[in-house]
Amino acid sequence: MSRYLDLDIVEINKLLKEGKITPTDLVEESFLRIEENKDLNAFITLNKEQALEEAKKLENEEIDTITFGIPIAIKDNIITKDLRTTAASHMLDNFIPIYDADVIKKIKDNKMIIIGKANMDEFAMGSSNQTSYFKPVANPWNKALVPGGSSGGSAAAVSSRVVPFALGSDTGGSIRQPSSFCGIVGLKPTYGRVSRYGLIAFASSLDQIGPMTRNVYENAVLLNIICGKSKNDLTSCETNEDFTRLIGKDIKGMKIAIPKFYVNDAIDDEIKDKLNSIIKLLEENGAEISYVDIKYIDKAVTLYQIIAMGEASSNLARFDGIRYGYSYENPENINDLYLKTRRYGFGPEVKRRIMIGSYLLSGENATTYYNKALAIRDDMRNSFLDVFKEYDLIIGPTATTKAYPLGKDLDDAVKAFMDDVLTIPVNMAGLPGLNLPIGFSTDHLPIGMQIIGSSFEEAKIYQLASFIEKKLNLDLNPNHNGGREND
Amino acid sequence: MEDKLSKEEVLHVADLARIEVSEEEIETYQIKLKELLNEVEKIESINDNDSDYMIAPWSNNASYREDIEEEMLNPKEALKNVPRKSGNYIEVPVVINE
Repeated sequence: MSRYLDLDIVEINKLLKEGKITPTDLVEESFLRIEENKDLNAFITLNKEQALEEAKKLENEEIDTITFGIPIAIKDNIITKDLRTTAASHMLDNFIPIYDADVIKKIKDNKMIIIGKANMDEFAMGSSNQTSYFKPVANPWNKALVPGGSSGGSAAAVSSRVVPFALGSDTGGSIRQPSSFCGIVGLKPTYGRVSRYGLIAFASSLDQIGPMTRNVYENAVLLNIICGKSKNDLTSCETNEDFTRLIGKDIKGMKIAIPKFYVNDAIDDEIKDKLNSIIKLLEENGAEISYVDIKYIDKAVTLYQIIAMGEASSNLARFDGIRYGYSYENPENINDLYLKTRRYGFGPEVKRRIMIGSYLLSGENATTYYNKALAIRDDMRNSFLDVFKEYDLIIGPTATTKAYPLGKDLDDAVKAFMDDVLTIPVNMAGLPGLNLPIGFSTDHLPIGMQIIGSSFEEAKIYQLASFIEKKLNLDLNPNHNGGREND
Repeated sequence: MEDKLSKEEVLHVADLARIEVSEEEIETYQIKLKELLNEVEKIESINDNDSDYMIAPWSNNASYREDIEEEMLNPKEALKNVPRKSGNYIEVPVVINE
């Protein structure tokens, strides 16, 4: 089998331009690799026929974009016209969207080819991909382990080199944490950077769509394409910049902060050790590193439980069994239709979060907890922005652990969010954050670090990330002898 | 203090959420929701004077857009995913019980 999909997109583009390969070669290779990696369960719906047709059509077109003919996986909560979109829920397992999300239009305009819809936690609610109605995804580095979540299918597909690109979504860490577990680069952009039109909403004030790729440059390329203002999402903003422009630039004199909370005892020693080696590397290369305090950062998970669950309970009220999706047969009356459709259509984790949200927004709880949480969140955001008055970037670990075994107990409402304790504050503050692989554990699992920027400072994040990436030069392909070649 | 919610409280929340719950689920929620409440109560002690908060972490000024007529979905497309329909209408079960 050809291995064109192991090449970076610049090399692929060169081969396409020289006429040595065609988009059809890339699409066929992608589907062969999906077959080889079937046990990862990374996809819910494949788009084979349509993808091959698109590839054929591109053969007669001028190669006018760097992403021309590149296969891409789309998380299954981003809607795609005429291609089933389930959000990994029984509630939507027969849902065929009638329009494209804004990001999908951009993907198509830039001649990428959608290979399929990636598996995920149901309605993006989970951090290990175990809440999917379509069964869990496995980690390409060790199939007995979770890939992280909720964008676990997207992460596994990119990590296993099935596709160079994937789109994920991140509400509390759903791009960065699986990227960390699978050893890829994943960015949650600034809130407003990417239009959310066509993203099945979980928590509207936190959700962002973002790029998941094998390396930093390709991540910036994909962000270049999906960003920008849309008339359909009034929180989206105009972007007039090239996110690759600072890649390769020196980091001498860069001021970097580490929140003290990001070196706490709950974080695995192996992860702290890797981060320390990065700190040393950065200092040796002229960066200045200091430890800082961020107000209420230790309360972020609690705030998240209130705000995200509240918003989720409201957003998911739309699933009523009347206009689309699963509908209970033979209800007694309309209320019975709502009750039973939602009882049997949603999985346990989704129902739990709706119940929590409904509870925390009911009666006096709304002012006692919800409004209070909004106020504290605002203070936390301001504290982050104060740090950015003095520092260029913030760094820390992405996750407190490496990938853990499938089947870990999910049934703990309070502990369920501890996976995301280091990523949630970034969503709460609306900031951009990126996972960069920085090495491996002793049992050879990827470890990631998080680079956080001020609002709309993604280019600076990519500058630091590409500097570290180049210095480390890791082999992040799990198919290479378990990745041990360059270790 | 009780270490769980009453059955009635859970049923009230389930009614707000429009989710039918089994006896077993009621018992679980009596405990789980109380655990969660104990957790979120921690923020009550924070003395925060910020009354001018935003509902989203977003500080751009929202702008009006022109109200321009454009092509929308046709009824056939709009009804494509409807579970029960009759012609161009969506069918619903009885709304008012006798």
